[in-house]
Amino acid sequence: MKENLRTLLGAGWLGWQMEANWTDPFLFMIYSVAKPVSAALILVFMYIVILGGVATESTAFAYIFLGNAFFIYVGQVLFGVTWVIHEDREHFQTLKLIYISPISFYYYIIGRAGSKILIATVAVVVTLLFGIFILGIPVDAFTMDWALLVLCLTVGMACLVSIGIALAGITFMTAKHSGGINEGIAGLFYVFCGVVFPITQLPAWGQSLGYAIPVTYWLEAMRKALLPAQQLEGTGLHGIENFWLVALLAVSALFFYFLSILIFRLGDYLARRAGKIDMTTAY
Amino acid sequence: MKEYLLLNLRALKGRAYPRVVGGTRELSWIFFDTILPLLTVAAYVFVYQYLGSLAQGPQKEYIGQFVGYVILGGAMTAYWMNVLWSMAAQFYWEKEIGNLQLYMIAPMSRMAVLGGMAVGGMFYTTVRAVSTIVIGVLIFGVTFSLGPPIYLILVFLLTLIALYGMGMLFASLYMLYGREAWHTSSLLTEPIYLVSGFYFPVKYMGAIVAVSASIIPITLGLDALRQLMFTETAGIHGFLPVEVELVALAVLSVLFLFLARHSLRFMENLGRKTGRLTMRWQ
Amino acid sequence: MNYAVETKDLTRIFRVKKRRRRRSESKGSEQDVTALKDVNLRIEEGELFGLLGPNGAGKTTLIKILCTLLLPTSGKAYVAGNDVEKDPYPIRRIINMVSGGETSGYGLLTTRENLWMFSQFYGIPSKEAKKRIDEMLEAFGIWDKRNAKVRTLSTGERQKANVIRGFMTDPSIIFLDEPTLGLDVNASRTIRKFISDWVRETSGRTVLLTTHYMMEADELCDRLAIIDEGGIVACDTPRNLKKTVSKASSLMFEADYLRDPDKLKGIEGIQNFTYKHNGQMNRTLLTFIVEDESAVADIVSRIVEQGAKIHSLEKREPTLEDVFVSLVGKGLA
Repeated sequence: MKENLRTLLGAGWLGWQMEANWTDPFLFMIYSVAKPVSAALILVFMYIVILGGVATESTAFAYIFLGNAFFIYVGQVLFGVTWVIHEDREHFQTLKLIYISPISFYYYIIGRAGSKILIATVAVVVTLLFGIFILGIPVDAFTMDWALLVLCLTVGMACLVSIGIALAGITFMTAKHSGGINEGIAGLFYVFCGVVFPITQLPAWGQSLGYAIPVTYWLEAMRKALLPAQQLEGTGLHGIENFWLVALLAVSALFFYFLSILIFRLGDYLARRAGKIDMTTAY
Repeated sequence: MKEYLLLNLRALKGRAYPRVVGGTRELSWIFFDTILPLLTVAAYVFVYQYLGSLAQGPQKEYIGQFVGYVILGGAMTAYWMNVLWSMAAQFYWEKEIGNLQLYMIAPMSRMAVLGGMAVGGMFYTTVRAVSTIVIGVLIFGVTFSLGPPIYLILVFLLTLIALYGMGMLFASLYMLYGREAWHTSSLLTEPIYLVSGFYFPVKYMGAIVAVSASIIPITLGLDALRQLMFTETAGIHGFLPVEVELVALAVLSVLFLFLARHSLRFMENLGRKTGRLTMRWQ
Repeated sequence: MNYAVETKDLTRIFRVKKRRRRRSESKGSEQDVTALKDVNLRIEEGELFGLLGPNGAGKTTLIKILCTLLLPTSGKAYVAGNDVEKDPYPIRRIINMVSGGETSGYGLLTTRENLWMFSQFYGIPSKEAKKRIDEMLEAFGIWDKRNAKVRTLSTGERQKANVIRGFMTDPSIIFLDEPTLGLDVNASRTIRKFISDWVRETSGRTVLLTTHYMMEADELCDRLAIIDEGGIVACDTPRNLKKTVSKASSLMFEADYLRDPDKLKGIEGIQNFTYKHNGQMNRTLLTFIVEDESAVADIVSRIVEQGAKIHSLEKREPTLEDVFVSLVGKGLA
């Protein structure tokens, strides 16, 4: 346990150095915030172009904005975890060295993801503050459901890291292209999990897929925690009690956890069999 | 002169080759670089459809066009991503894997190597772009009302020339970078999607932002392509007349190729001076 | 006269920016590292010239400057009469470079495709390039690997392909930076034989080879420069270099483990000495370059004083290693 903790902290420190020490802290903060705020502004402009302003149908706007803000975690964590494999394998060429060391590779990946979660947290907070103070989303610290927020945020992070580990397993097998599986899977969740539009907009099969992914419940829980009194109707999840929402999140997260371990182990095994642990594929 | 031209044409062909065969040998790119990125485009389509269901005003009747704009933006995203990751940041990767020094001691022009990367990269990028449009038409029922084909071809070609010229300029600037290269490309993703109007007409960003963003060729290229592929709404959602955008793209093409050539030479010399041309694991 | 390579007071200093540790430290304080210091060399056309030195001596920095990858801080360097600083383009047409331990090209291309790609950067027509590549693949014994992806090649095969890449463009001057680094005996021998044959096959071909393998330098090079801490300490044929220590004798002692071998310093008649501990055998191996063999008595008594027994004593002909020890005061390994 002590050794795993050391791996976790060491990998977290390494991840932070890789993320942050290429520039000075001020530029790094600007960089960390510019990306998510721009992504949020794309939606804001789309909203303004069609509806004339963010005050029109403000409940819908809050739904879109908050979903997008918390989705930063999804993008960052999934991207971060899969990038660990490509970066360590092809760029620093240290993957094989870490792989053969006696540490737990899971803890190593989780540690590396930790630095991404930290950076994503700053981006999420800044995006939320921008939404609250500039765009007038009525989040109030006194009426927020803090317990739901903390509980679901924790379960959600664990779930995202699990999915990231599964993707890392798949990444063992894949070449380094300009995009990657992380981008694609994040895109999959962006479409099917009710991030920036209610899943009821999707065809029936798409809705069923959305209900099977924990991110759907997690985002809904985040919205409920921040705006308990202002919930959009017709989202497909409206009216579900908090207890059941958390239960659905926990069950689906647990399922994904076991699935991820399975996928990672399979990817790891296949990569070793194919001799791909230390391949370089840039072209 | 003829010999030098031949040398550079051969170098271009040589560098394009791994890009083309790379795409055929590691077929996983079809899934990762073509099918999966379509999902993000689909998400924006659903957002417009959802917003359309809420809208009361005149924009409600243009939702079909907005969906088309997103599809076109998604198609052009492929080129922007290719320029950022496989052109601008490529010399950084080449340095890390030990190839940059071999390029630098060879007698060909560096523009020929970058040209090879561009030509090779355009192959699979075009597949991604075309698949985005085809899926847009098949799944989301986008219908086009096309303008003069000659304009369409000219705008598309000039956009690509200017865009890849910009990629070459970036490549020269990134040549001495370490991890900054990766992060700079990453930084130029969402903010550029925003200011260049990848998912909505750039006109709505306001004149100052739109003019400033026009330094990125894809801003005007995308606006012109939208006007030429959705002629019915060109007058309403277009930023500048297509002819003006065409001239601006031609100017940007010349400008970026000229700057790239000089910048490559300047940065190479700077790299030789500081020793960063061959410094790895920065 | 135009030399293949000529350097005049060539100096290269690297500025290493230190990261700020405390706020009180000034921003971007710099520390200079002198990689080359006033290097003067002349290599004639047709020579196989060696540069011998330990790691960090400045060999790779010199190669990088001559290959136009790095500029000198001061002094001049010329390749075939062209200034590396002002005229890099004519130089690039006539040179190539091979570094040991490095990969080149793209792992998903085959050996033949990778080599063809590099040939295109030198403007060689495809047909001609493929002919040369096939001949060289055959000569290096990796013809059967022509269609294997580069990432599947062994270290030796990859390095052979790397050497082919350097030679297939038929350069007038080739820079070989530790070309046999980390290779097995057979692969090293193939590469050494190729280099030796290549330079003698046609007049005017020049090789600058850096190595820290004494035997390689001795076997291959017409002339050698010994480089240490950025400076040339000697430059001559291997034979003449060995002559400089021929008046002296090289004596090797194998004794019990010595706790304090430095006590052997300062014995009259000793030009230089090195030692190596063998932990497994619990012994110390001492090599002395002695001007006067009467020093043997003192050496023996000082070893015995430390309570150690001498197991063997050998006198041998001077080698390049002895030259190196004599000039630099330390071994290469």
